[in-house]
Amino acid sequence: MTSTLEHEPALSLESLENRQIDPTRPLLEVDRLVMHYKIKAGEVSAVEDVSFTVHQGEAVGLVGESGCGKTSIALSLLRLLPSNATYEQGEIRLNGENLLELSPEEMRQRRWKDIAMVFQGAMNSWNPVYRVGDQIREALDTHYRGAMTYAEQRAHMEKLFQAVGLPPAMLDRYPHEFSGGMRQRAVIAMALSCSPELIIADEPTTALDVIVQDQILKELKRIQAELGMSIIYISHDIAVIAEVTDSLGVMYAGKLVEYGPTADVFARPRHPYAYLLLRSTPSITGPRRQLAPLEGEPPDLLHPPTGCRFHPRCPFATERCATDVPPLEDIGGGHKVACWHHDRVPALEGALQR
Amino acid sequence: MVRFLVGRVAQMAVLFVVFLSIVWLMLQAMPGDISDTLVGNPDIPLATRFELRERLGLDQPLLNQYVTYITNFFRGEMGVSFSRFPQDVSTVLWQALPRTLVLFLSATLLAFWLGFKTGKLIAWRRGAIAEKSLIVSGVFLQTVFYPWFAIVMLWLFGFFLGWFPIGRFIDSNVWQGSPYDSNDIFFAMILSALVAVVLYTVARLVIKRIANNLVTQDRLTTIAGVITVGALVGFWYLRPEWPYVFDIARHTVLPVVTLALVAFGATMLLTRGSMLETLGEDYILTARAKGVPDRVIRDRHAARNALLPVTTSLVLALSFVIGGGIVTETIFSWPGMGLIFLQAINVSDIPLAVGALSITGVLALVGHLVADILYAVLDPRIRIA
Amino acid sequence: MTTVDDQNVHPAELGVPASGASARELTGGRGLAHTPLWRIRLRLLRRSLGITWGLFRQNRMGMFGLALIALFAVMAISHPILMATVWDPAIYDPVDGYDAVMTEFTVVENGALTDEASQIELNQARIELNPMVTVGQVVTIPTQPAPPTFEGEHWHILGTDVHGRDIMSQLLFSTRAAFFLGAVAAITTVLIATSIGAVAAYFGGFVDNALMRFADLILLMPLLPVLILLSAMFSMNMVILGIMIGVLSGFGGVAIVLKSQALAIKVKAFIDAAKVAGGSDWHVIFRHIVPNVLPLSFLFMMFGVTEAIAIESTLSFFGLLNVDMTWGLMIQSARDNGYLLSGTSYWWLLFPAGLAVSFLCFAFFLVGRGMDEVINPRLRAR
Repeated sequence: MTSTLEHEPALSLESLENRQIDPTRPLLEVDRLVMHYKIKAGEVSAVEDVSFTVHQGEAVGLVGESGCGKTSIALSLLRLLPSNATYEQGEIRLNGENLLELSPEEMRQRRWKDIAMVFQGAMNSWNPVYRVGDQIREALDTHYRGAMTYAEQRAHMEKLFQAVGLPPAMLDRYPHEFSGGMRQRAVIAMALSCSPELIIADEPTTALDVIVQDQILKELKRIQAELGMSIIYISHDIAVIAEVTDSLGVMYAGKLVEYGPTADVFARPRHPYAYLLLRSTPSITGPRRQLAPLEGEPPDLLHPPTGCRFHPRCPFATERCATDVPPLEDIGGGHKVACWHHDRVPALEGALQR
Repeated sequence: MVRFLVGRVAQMAVLFVVFLSIVWLMLQAMPGDISDTLVGNPDIPLATRFELRERLGLDQPLLNQYVTYITNFFRGEMGVSFSRFPQDVSTVLWQALPRTLVLFLSATLLAFWLGFKTGKLIAWRRGAIAEKSLIVSGVFLQTVFYPWFAIVMLWLFGFFLGWFPIGRFIDSNVWQGSPYDSNDIFFAMILSALVAVVLYTVARLVIKRIANNLVTQDRLTTIAGVITVGALVGFWYLRPEWPYVFDIARHTVLPVVTLALVAFGATMLLTRGSMLETLGEDYILTARAKGVPDRVIRDRHAARNALLPVTTSLVLALSFVIGGGIVTETIFSWPGMGLIFLQAINVSDIPLAVGALSITGVLALVGHLVADILYAVLDPRIRIA
Repeated sequence: MTTVDDQNVHPAELGVPASGASARELTGGRGLAHTPLWRIRLRLLRRSLGITWGLFRQNRMGMFGLALIALFAVMAISHPILMATVWDPAIYDPVDGYDAVMTEFTVVENGALTDEASQIELNQARIELNPMVTVGQVVTIPTQPAPPTFEGEHWHILGTDVHGRDIMSQLLFSTRAAFFLGAVAAITTVLIATSIGAVAAYFGGFVDNALMRFADLILLMPLLPVLILLSAMFSMNMVILGIMIGVLSGFGGVAIVLKSQALAIKVKAFIDAAKVAGGSDWHVIFRHIVPNVLPLSFLFMMFGVTEAIAIESTLSFFGLLNVDMTWGLMIQSARDNGYLLSGTSYWWLLFPAGLAVSFLCFAFFLVGRGMDEVINPRLRAR
């Protein structure tokens, strides 16, 4: 870790801005990942056969109802799952290296330096008894011990704060002196501190009010573009995701049911669940349409439905859906759907607009 | 911070006056008055009695009596002890105070330090056999009938195993013909221990600055601790007072350990609970995501926050330690305030008992204040507000 | 003020998590409007107790504590029964009974005594028995304290004390006293603390401030010394002591904790709903806030029992209480008669009483902890 560092003068945002990115090179590949939680009552199938790829500089979104396994995936990527979670199968490759095969110590060194994370509740992401600056410094100390002087660290952190639109003097403040939006900005600054190649943003704006939400999203998007980072957005709020991502994945009950370019998925959702989810959100700019209700509850993952996990709630379900698991198939242009009846979904559009 | 301090001290002063008033009210509520205790014998002529009442100021209006009582206390005049007649209450208590303070302080600190460390470790590694057995023994220590526990400890270590003397403060055989006064020696011991504590604290601060690595930091701190204790013992060993110092020290060990053990159980259980709560917090997950090593997460993030409720409980533990102190002093015949208090109660020496209770009240208040300040130092959210 | 409740029966009011309690189940299929409110309440209560019990049962230590308490309860009940049937009051009365047990001693040389309980020095034996006794002879002498005897007409399962009284009888008799005192103290504590906490949280402002400053003051009073002084000045029996302990701890720490709990309840929507519907202050406090604080109150009741028994035993250990017989007094009489360091050779003097206090406190504490884990899920084992 330190050997490469000796050649680099220091960690700086300027050097990152010139980072060469190749949009066709895969950065993170999640390959047929299966993850279960073992509890007293049995095994919870939280992530089931999920595959997707994040390219360099790409912004990927994952949406779904709460409890569908979004956060489980996020934590899986960093191997931060609770001790009762097991990886049953699959690989998580970062730059070709399988993270699941690393030793705990090697994994620890990858965290934040290669993959950083912006957590759901920025309020609680900060340890209340330490200054915000010191908590960012802790990340630098952990991954660049001895490589930066105190003053260099300080200068770096001040630049980070400026980059996220916070006055550098706030570094010396305690978390409780920050407003909600400011804390989230500071969290983003901390995520950027070790200039990771990938940031996972798990519900980055959920707890914030709408205006702040918008500001934070714009900030994230700008920084991501400037610094050439990849980012995975995780949210239940489809409008948030649509605005900032290049690719979009829709999750249902631990499975990825649809994945493709955001515009494509948004305009032509082909999985019935994705369709109903997208249509359950009103659009101000688009044409007026009736909101389709999504009936029923997400399944109990302790005893997931056989076949397609959506079939008990699906308007198109046939017998086949209850027995066979539909594969995630490419239907053209990188748009993938896991549904036996994806060609019948457009018909729903007409039915609802009547 | 200064304002916080001043405010807190003022508040405590008011509380103390209220406390004194309540003690006074309790005295008033007692059937009869002190003159009954002194000249309760019907053979004593009534005139003597009235004279005494006049001399004691008991014929004054209640308000005057009250004011005199309060002002006298602050002037350090707590009257004359009945049972140790020529001696002032304040003289008797003043001699006993250091012994009680040493018992309280060393037991509290020992219990707190050990309890916090163990509680932290068992919360971090849940499910181990060590955790289960420590919890059970912690609960047992917390609920054991303390006087009985002290008796068993005294019997086991003092009588059966003979490792420590059976109670008391000094062994009169050792002190026979000694050129020193035990109180002076004891005072010098306290002073040297304080110097050692200050030096150790300074060393810790320096180490914190120098060592950038938590593991070396721990190692250096341990070394500093060993050196400090060694230096303290060595210093006394080379001095002529050594046999007397040693005698006092070995009389101190058993009561301190006994009192500390019981408080240890409570602190350990509380730390464990508080650690478990803290470990579920989001900032622990953030720290793990940052790649911070487990040990650092445990010590700097989880334990540091778990310390806050434990500090608050110091206040609650205080009342326990004071009560336990009385029992300890009685069973170990340790001539501190608790023993004097109980002896005074047994012979109805009301001035001495009230004096001891009031001083205990002062101790409780100061303990409160210290815990408050400690909390404010530890929690930045309080410091500003 | 039933309007609110008729329309808005919230399970949380009874301390139940609002988990899908279907109206049908609660009303027995008769429809919400036709079922008396108390019946719904009762069913909710039963259901909530069921849930709590289910969770509590998983806590092994808590169940162990409960079993211990049951054992002590059996002990407490058995004393009057035994006295009325098997035990002769003249011998087994915990206070006035007397029995000189004949014990065998081996006579040993003067100064060669190794075990006081089974040996006697030659000189002593000659004084007590007859001058013809020789070393090595086994003699029987009436003794008190006597070790356990299972011979003759009167058994003494745990031996007799320094005055020849049966220890077992004292132990059982004291159990009843301990339960009684614990109950009085704990109920007083909880009644006071819950009302104070709810009132302070509900009204806030001056009332809150005054009550909480007062609680601080009480918290500051060193409980044991104050009680020692009080018991020296006034003659205290179990009832007065129980109430005194209850008042002192009820106005202090417990009130502060319960107030913060009540504060958390106060901001819930159903409190506003009750107020909007015209509920008076006292109605809201005692019908909506207090029931929600109750689970926590019960928790403190358990800890309160532990504390009260410990304090009572300590005070009687110092001989400051006006009581017939308690565990603390049993230890005190052993200590006052020179058996402080008797340890295992006179184990029946110190150990039964000491262990009884410890185990009863242990039991209530374990139950308290078990309840704590039910109320506070984070503490539960994964």
